[in-house]
Amino acid sequence: MTQIQEIPADRLAADETESLGKKILSGDPKIRQLGRSPAERNRPLWMLLPGGILMVVIIVIPLLLAFFIAMLDLDQYTLKDWASAPFIGLGNFVEAVSKTNLLHAIGVSVSYAAIVTIVTLPIGVLAALATQNRFRGRAFVRSVFLIPYVLPAFVVGTVWSTMFQSGGVVDSFLASIGIQHEGLWLNGPQSYWVLVLVQIWSSWPFVYLLVLAGLQAVENEVHEASALDGAGWWIKLRFVIFPYLRGPVTLALIISFLHNVNSFTLPFVLFGVPAPKDVEVLPILTYVTSFQSSRFGLGAAMAVFSLVLILIPLFVYLKAVRLDSGDDKKVSKK
Amino acid sequence: MKKSTLIAIAGVATLSLALQGCSSTSNDSGSGAGSTDGAGKTLTVMMQANGIYPDEQKQWFSDISAEFKKETGAEVVFETFASSAEELTKIQTSVTSGQGPDIYSLGTTFTPTAAATGAFVTLTDKEWDLVGGRDRFVPATLQMSGASESTEVGIPFSSRPFVMSYNTELLSAAGIDKPATTWDEFASQAKKLTSGDVYGISLAYADGFDPWKFIWAMSVQAGNPILDGKTARLDDPVTLKAYETYFGWLTKDQVVDPQSVSWKSSQAIAAFSEGKAAYLPMATGTSKVTLDNSSVAGKYAYAVMPTIPPGSTTLPSDGKAATSIISGDNIVVANYSENQELAFALVKLLTSDSVQQDRFTLFGELPTSQDAAAKVQTDNPELEALIKSSAQSVGTPFSGAWGDTQNELVNVVTQTLPSLSSGSVNQGDLKSLLGSAQDVAQTALDKVR
Repeated sequence: MTQIQEIPADRLAADETESLGKKILSGDPKIRQLGRSPAERNRPLWMLLPGGILMVVIIVIPLLLAFFIAMLDLDQYTLKDWASAPFIGLGNFVEAVSKTNLLHAIGVSVSYAAIVTIVTLPIGVLAALATQNRFRGRAFVRSVFLIPYVLPAFVVGTVWSTMFQSGGVVDSFLASIGIQHEGLWLNGPQSYWVLVLVQIWSSWPFVYLLVLAGLQAVENEVHEASALDGAGWWIKLRFVIFPYLRGPVTLALIISFLHNVNSFTLPFVLFGVPAPKDVEVLPILTYVTSFQSSRFGLGAAMAVFSLVLILIPLFVYLKAVRLDSGDDKKVSKK
Repeated sequence: MKKSTLIAIAGVATLSLALQGCSSTSNDSGSGAGSTDGAGKTLTVMMQANGIYPDEQKQWFSDISAEFKKETGAEVVFETFASSAEELTKIQTSVTSGQGPDIYSLGTTFTPTAAATGAFVTLTDKEWDLVGGRDRFVPATLQMSGASESTEVGIPFSSRPFVMSYNTELLSAAGIDKPATTWDEFASQAKKLTSGDVYGISLAYADGFDPWKFIWAMSVQAGNPILDGKTARLDDPVTLKAYETYFGWLTKDQVVDPQSVSWKSSQAIAAFSEGKAAYLPMATGTSKVTLDNSSVAGKYAYAVMPTIPPGSTTLPSDGKAATSIISGDNIVVANYSENQELAFALVKLLTSDSVQQDRFTLFGELPTSQDAAAKVQTDNPELEALIKSSAQSVGTPFSGAWGDTQNELVNVVTQTLPSLSSGSVNQGDLKSLLGSAQDVAQTALDKVR
């Protein structure tokens, strides 16, 4: 609201502003219209209503319910009449932190999501650069690159867990090149790296896609100009192409981090429940607490923690692209 | 009134209408509950998908639907779920929304958890009469119907007691004339039976269900019911001993294939069916079909599992000679169902002697009605072990805390697998895992209402 009043203040003479200010305060509808920039006048804002209602029903109400449930002692005994389950304030949050594996699970989720995100970035960029120039069979290669991404996580998890069985394909392959593998892949410390590996395998094409889209935005003239200036491939990449990719890459980093933190299906199918301690990620812990132990209140409290966890990078991202404020307008005017 | 206020009011009105729409549907439909004339009505039944006999199950569904339609005029729609987790989610949503299937078939160990929601009809004399009487059922199977006779919700539908299969050729080659009756004898026989790539016992350490049944059986035989009234006893020495015995078959006795650290139940059955193991404990009658189509066809038999706990030669005074958990399915009718009488009429059909016998022929599941069970027994003398085990089964604690307890019993095994695969299990680690399992189970038990 403050910005709406700030913008005309730049444009109108000081005395006009003062009287206008009074009229605005008095609520004169004509003046309120005048006070807006031409683009803002007579906007059919009511057309936002259907979308707005939908958002309230689909997002806002469930979110508020989740906060409410997180403060209830809701379990299989109180489920039938859930709204009257005992209200215990922050009890679930305290229990989640002090009595469950929540902090451990957050540690596993964040660290593995960060590793996967960092590793997939160069792979995605290289793959996009490699398929940037035309060559015979490029369309085919591009489609092949997308296979891991379009396969459902369920299928990916099933196939990899079969491969990582003791004495399975992975073990026999390693044996054939002279490495005798000891221990289990799908339980114990190695399971963490199996999760990292499989998640990398299935999520790098996302970075590749976004970078590819970013590369399409580089005009032909830019390539020509840098060629005329005699830029070598590295100079061109570093100082001409990369600046174009900053936006898509940031977006790719943040979305893939959020995706990995929230990933449920892949660890669930790979390792099953109860999950081995090394791969007990936050979504699995939340699922088991809610739907196996029927501690819905406690599970909702864990979900609130995970919401906070994903809000941090999301906030950074929104700041970076300035979707959350009117700043973009100011920038474009300058 | 200002425009913006009007818009806001309109928004709220639309929203509340929409929400009302969601909640009111369950009250509108069906008004004629109270007669078993089911013309124009539909019953929905939720049942576990049969992975071994999918086609036979489909056929059975349509046969039952046709028969019930002929009897009452009502339609029966069968829905299936693949795992108990899926079923639990379905029950949870139905309980909160007050709509969903009229009838559920529940696994016996899962019945207490489901019953704790209070979403199912408590069986009084009236309901038992509707299904043909309570005394019609095999007494042991009624143990998992409710916490007490007055709070029963589950009607026994099928029985799948656990037994062990053994390879008759391997046993006689090793000079063993009859299968073990104590767990110690079981281990010493298994040692004799292990040579080369043939192992004494086929186990599935990584299975989500198998492990806790061993721990439970050995604990109960040694006098620890795991949940003892208001006290959880997972940290009891006899339970520790049970875990050590179960892991010791691999680490100390070395009578189990080391690969089985990552095996699920089906892989353990496969190893036995290839003749690579002499004993397959924790098998049910449903393994018959796999085994009869394998290289051990005609070379195997079923026996009840040992009932004397590890380290003993006789049953301790407070121990129970449990051959198996009460295993199988119960049928429950949802409280919110608009067609309860019709639902009980269908349950009567499903538990009738003829349908029960059909289910044995089709799926290998033992009947829960006494007459049908007696008939099956006379017709199939080779199933003696199964029938004996069914009669000697002991129910798992009928408590809302059992689900959590069971998960914790398995979790102890899951977290031990890395050290099991390295060949030794540290007693201190095991104790500390059991300690945290004990805490979770006790917390769950304290919450029971």
